[in-house]
Amino acid sequence: MSASNDAVRELIYRSCRCLDTHDFDGYIALCAPAFRYRITVYSPELRKEMIWLNHDRDRLAALLAAVPRHLARLGSLQRNATVYTIERDGTEGPARVTSAFSVFNIDNEGRPSVFAVGHYHDTVDVGGERPLLVARNARLASRDLGIGSHVPI
Amino acid sequence: MPSRSAATWERPPPLPDGHYVSGRVYHDEQIFAEEREHIFRKVWHFVCHESEVAEAFDFRTVERADVPLLVVRGEDGHIRTFINVCSHRGARVAMEPGGNARTFTCFYHHWTYDTEGSCVSMPRPEGYDHTPIRKEDMGLREVKTDVKWGFVFVNLDDDCAPLDDFLGGALDIFDRVLPNAELEVFHYHRAEIDANWKAYQETIVDLYHEFMHVILRDTQMPAASMDDREMRTYANGHVTIAGLKADYEKYVGWGHRDDSTCFPGLEPDDARFAPLFPAQTFITRGTVMRIDTVQPVTAHKCLIESRGLGLKGESPEDRMMRIDQHNEYWGPFGRNVTEDAFAAEGCEVSFGKGAALRGIIARDEGGKGQCDSGLRGFWAEWSRRMGRPASHPTND
Repeated sequence: MSASNDAVRELIYRSCRCLDTHDFDGYIALCAPAFRYRITVYSPELRKEMIWLNHDRDRLAALLAAVPRHLARLGSLQRNATVYTIERDGTEGPARVTSAFSVFNIDNEGRPSVFAVGHYHDTVDVGGERPLLVARNARLASRDLGIGSHVPI
Repeated sequence: MPSRSAATWERPPPLPDGHYVSGRVYHDEQIFAEEREHIFRKVWHFVCHESEVAEAFDFRTVERADVPLLVVRGEDGHIRTFINVCSHRGARVAMEPGGNARTFTCFYHHWTYDTEGSCVSMPRPEGYDHTPIRKEDMGLREVKTDVKWGFVFVNLDDDCAPLDDFLGGALDIFDRVLPNAELEVFHYHRAEIDANWKAYQETIVDLYHEFMHVILRDTQMPAASMDDREMRTYANGHVTIAGLKADYEKYVGWGHRDDSTCFPGLEPDDARFAPLFPAQTFITRGTVMRIDTVQPVTAHKCLIESRGLGLKGESPEDRMMRIDQHNEYWGPFGRNVTEDAFAAEGCEVSFGKGAALRGIIARDEGGKGQCDSGLRGFWAEWSRRMGRPASHPTND
């Protein structure tokens, strides 16, 4: 029995919540063994596609595990996502999910500012007991990310 | 007495003038305005790599010293730079950050220019018959442009010294790489941060701040003797740093870097830095090159442009490897650059409103280890060009 669209939506939202709260083990648990994570963006300066992060599940897990050791921006990043479309070829085949995201930085004084805007283009395995992320392309629409972030989008 | 009173806090440190800087240099509005005139409108600026304008009629638009610039490769293959301002009413003639165009037509009144800067048409020119205005005299203002190893530099001062004189051999630190490699830009991003431009540039030259970076604490500081390092300062305020090594096995997930296809003449753990005055930096780390420029926006904001470069024509696998290794250190999600920007913004909080009175740059390790000689070289050139010591930049 394949996962319902509601379960797919919950997966997307849960992935955001895990990153918001730095529950990195929880985030990795949402990913299939073959998971591939990318952040991509188009450069009108170079007139080229760019890749700003490209990791398989193990390397992403290592990157996330190291986050607490690094000097990080003050405050927190909070994601606001909306699932736009869920496309399914069949009952068991992977679902292709497109979601919009906005990421806000909340500084230590509680002031919000926009960090990044874009879309998640996810591939989700819906054939198992629970849906799992097989691939995520965090496609940025904004390109100036200020000081950047050690935590992916 | 471990803490200090107001009197002892405000008293200049017992150091030579060149070994500390006043906090005013980071926030004084008059100093900021003079920097634009005395430094940024006088020096050579890296503006792009030639691969960004690889074909005839390719162009890039950039800004330097608050001046919008149009860099374009002509049909004759030459790269020229113009102030991106229409001769008629001052509107920008090229609006996109990059592209390919045989001519540039100002959106406002449709005056049109070719890639050599000539004004080739103006609508209804008869309206100027009663004046001396003729399109033949209304070309764009050209800016001095020179290309060194594929790096395109411009200078807004028509009376400037040649580029090679300005560089003074500082880029020769890459002479094992650049003459044997055709490079190509694969990464570009720009980011405005809340910091004076010098606070960010100092993070490049300041080796003592290795302690701030987990990556450098794990991989770089233990990798080789501090005595193997070579920090050189040059007459024009440029600095080069070589002899930095990295043991990538020491950082989880980075051991793969040791087996990577490097730039010609470099080993995977070979790091070379060339911070050029005032705020442009060339860095190689074995497999990949990074070029940063920092532009002042206000006394309290700066714009960082960052590029990553690989080898032109390399295999897709090698390119992907270089992109990955670039992104590990650098880029908006890199481990190091984010921390450098954090440091600059952290100093802005205290220097920006005058709470921090001075910065100390007095470490002397004979150009080795974590010596401050590069910082002193930077500030000596700043002081020379500004006509005032950085330690006492104002009369009060």
